[in-house]
Amino acid sequence: MKFFTSFRKKSPWILHYNAGSCNGCDIEILAALGPKFDLERFGVINTGNPKQSDIFLVTGPVTYRSRERLVELYSQIPEPKVVIAVGSCTTTGGVFRGMYNVEDGIDQYIPVDVYVPGCASTPQLIIDAIVKALEILENKSKEIEKPFKLFGSVETIGNKLSRLNMAKRVKHD
Amino acid sequence: MIWIWIAFAPILGGLVYGGERVLRARMQRRQGPPFLQPFYDMFKLLDKRTLIVHAPHALLAVAHFFALWFSVAAIFLGWNLLYIVFLHLFAQIVLILAGYSVRSAYSHLGANRELLMLVAYEPILILVAVGFYLVSGSFDIAQIVRGGGYLAQMPLLFIALLMIVPIKVKKSPFDVGEAHQEIVGGVEIEYSGMFYEFLYMARFLEYIFIYSFVFIFAGVSYALGAALVAGVFLLVNLVDNATARVHTMHMVKIIYAVAMSLAIANILWIVL
Repeated sequence: MKFFTSFRKKSPWILHYNAGSCNGCDIEILAALGPKFDLERFGVINTGNPKQSDIFLVTGPVTYRSRERLVELYSQIPEPKVVIAVGSCTTTGGVFRGMYNVEDGIDQYIPVDVYVPGCASTPQLIIDAIVKALEILENKSKEIEKPFKLFGSVETIGNKLSRLNMAKRVKHD
Repeated sequence: MIWIWIAFAPILGGLVYGGERVLRARMQRRQGPPFLQPFYDMFKLLDKRTLIVHAPHALLAVAHFFALWFSVAAIFLGWNLLYIVFLHLFAQIVLILAGYSVRSAYSHLGANRELLMLVAYEPILILVAVGFYLVSGSFDIAQIVRGGGYLAQMPLLFIALLMIVPIKVKKSPFDVGEAHQEIVGGVEIEYSGMFYEFLYMARFLEYIFIYSFVFIFAGVSYALGAALVAGVFLLVNLVDNATARVHTMHMVKIIYAVAMSLAIANILWIVL
């Protein structure tokens, strides 16, 4: 409904996931949520629960072990949702690009709406990114959005779930 | 008139919750969210796609909300205090059943903790009701609020009630049931969209429920009641900002050792 859509940008709830980050960006996110920058004045809550979140904040180059959880968390967030890649590693792989144990950014696995550069990203940049993400969130439809690849337990049940069975299978080498 | 109050009880609770979030932010020298933030959250949750684990699980959240609304309505209508305590118990049992009905380990942990919280605060609520009966001669709230002098006769019961207010409104040091950093909301974890909204609004009703217990301590004087509620509200938020969460079993032990003995001592003092 049009009336409720306008409230999306007034109460964005955040899910923060660390996909193998060095904790630099995580500390900046916590600083943005803390008293000095106070993201809560926009109605932001750090829920920690994918089923009640709107914004997926991911930090870190996706490590081999964390990609399964990344895809699973993404597919558990109900639409409409936006993904923010925080930090150089998350957007491109950063200094870890091309290494055998990382995956060069999250956009190989899930669709990303806002990229935030910086090692580490500053709280000001993160706040800007969230404000930008809210514009995108307001214009999104409630179409099901799918990850590009499925792994592990999500893959085994993926074909039985209407939320996931259309996920593109990209050959990974 | 009273029916309008009952109909708008969740909205009233939402205003209390919004005010509390602003107050807590100001205590931490933050600007805080807008005053109407709980309602923005509610409207947003209506706009989200809803994921349901299974139908009874979703239905139990709705049942919890309406059972709680019924017990708040019973308070406003001035019914029997014991009935109200047990109606509220029924609402909590429904929520605990919902927690156990899904496979999530966090949901089960949350339901365990909700049960332990129930074990901790339920005897105190009943003892408070018994205290009111001994002083005023009736369990009916309509009868109780016609009398007065409860604070003078049951000060220890009032302190015991103060100790369980943080459990009911899920504030530190007794916020084990929610504990977002440990068990990610406990029984709330598998809810999303519209059905999470029922739990979100049920929290507003919990505020009305427990603060009306504080309110009836003032008896006939509504001004004193308002002052008591405002004072307790400030104190609970101050304690919330100043303390860390205690372990679940420690919470039960603290409530049983301190609040329970205070309550029983007060009851004996009235009887003897």
